[in-house]
Amino acid sequence: MEESKGPNGPLVELSGVTKSFGDNVVLNEIDLRIGRGEAVVVAGPSGSGKSTMLRCINGLEPIDSGSIRFGGRAIEGIGREIYGIRAQIGMVFQQFNLFPHMTVIDNITLAPVRVQGTSVEEARRRGRELLERVGIPDKEDDVPADLSGGQQQRVAIARALAVDPKLMLFDEPTSALDPEMIREVLDVMRDLARDGMTMIVVTHEMGFAREVCDRLIFIDEGVIVEDAPPEEFFKATGSARAKEFVDKIIHH
Amino acid sequence: MSGLWGVLQEHFPELLAGFLVTIRLVAIAFVIAMVVGAVVAALRISPSKWLQRIGGVYVETFRNIPLLVLLFISFAGLRRAGVPITPWIAGTASLGLYTAAYVAEALRSGAFAVGKGQIDAALSLGFSYASALRRIVIPQAFRSVIPTIGSLVIAMIRNSAIVGVSLLALPDLLKEARIIQSRTFETGEVFFWAAIGYLVLTLTATVAFRLLERRFEVRR
Repeated sequence: MEESKGPNGPLVELSGVTKSFGDNVVLNEIDLRIGRGEAVVVAGPSGSGKSTMLRCINGLEPIDSGSIRFGGRAIEGIGREIYGIRAQIGMVFQQFNLFPHMTVIDNITLAPVRVQGTSVEEARRRGRELLERVGIPDKEDDVPADLSGGQQQRVAIARALAVDPKLMLFDEPTSALDPEMIREVLDVMRDLARDGMTMIVVTHEMGFAREVCDRLIFIDEGVIVEDAPPEEFFKATGSARAKEFVDKIIHH
Repeated sequence: MSGLWGVLQEHFPELLAGFLVTIRLVAIAFVIAMVVGAVVAALRISPSKWLQRIGGVYVETFRNIPLLVLLFISFAGLRRAGVPITPWIAGTASLGLYTAAYVAEALRSGAFAVGKGQIDAALSLGFSYASALRRIVIPQAFRSVIPTIGSLVIAMIRNSAIVGVSLLALPDLLKEARIIQSRTFETGEVFFWAAIGYLVLTLTATVAFRLLERRFEVRR
């Protein structure tokens, strides 16, 4: 706990995190530490609590007990300061959740201008850089509906990066995409990981996990049943449940 | 002089004056309806149970009291109680606050159609819940309910006709028509031109809202 303070402690630390929806315990005493620069993939059957865990980490979902620390700081019960924490955590959603009434560039510059007080010109300049980085430099004046799913998700990544987050959360970022668009999104995420971004990715893309992540975490029924580097994971010495699941999603 | 054209020529100045008063009345009430409607809708979709309740009480109060009764209360009633209220304030406030209840309901349904994912996205970018509503949800809700608000505005223009002829000394189009009619007994002709006046306003509103709808269409 003491070492969690200071720049060398873990960026994210969950201790004994429990969360229920009604009688359904979705997260059961989760302990997890994620260091700066780590890329972690979280897998598990649907309904196992993966997405809920991500939503708890940036305070979109309140937890019942335990504690979550970000940069050494507890995020529960801090009132309006949670807004400042969230601005340091980028989130990418399964359904993209771009703002449909705004152009691509306005989607990206909204938070820098309105939350962080960046000037419009500076935010736009940076927004164009980000669009370049995610590989769609010529779409800034389009509205989301004019883009393919893969392009929309890359805009969503650019939007999340625009606030200069210390941590990126990806909630099944490719699950709503047609197969031919999955690659383009995963490529952007791989580049991000290589640039040293700390990221937690909920996904079933085991190829991505094997290639990119430092740790693969397997959650089942609200409990972490495996937490290992991907090479060990795929040798599968651990839980039978995880092994069975990985076999299923690799070979389907 | 009589006949439709004769009546129009003879009484054009009064009818025009009344028409302009109706435009002013409707324009002010429209602004009140939009602003108050947006605020009440925000209360109705806020996370606080108490704010939701306050918004609910507003909607049920103003939706369930007939406009004519509101006009009587706001002018005669308040005046009797010693509140120095002018016909203009009573008329625009009654019409505006009454319509605001319907605008709030329309916006609320529009806001629910916007979806929780939009709020999640805004919150995850560091916006407060209130700013997420103001910057993301309400603008989209407004766009999706433009046709509904168009119908409400047309209803408001028609409802405005009872403002002048109720207790208020407010010389709007129908009031002026009444005055001419009681002097000349050219009932059919005078009210025909009053109807045309209202038709001009409602058709203008119809076209304006069609254009707004086209301009602000949100494709998903």
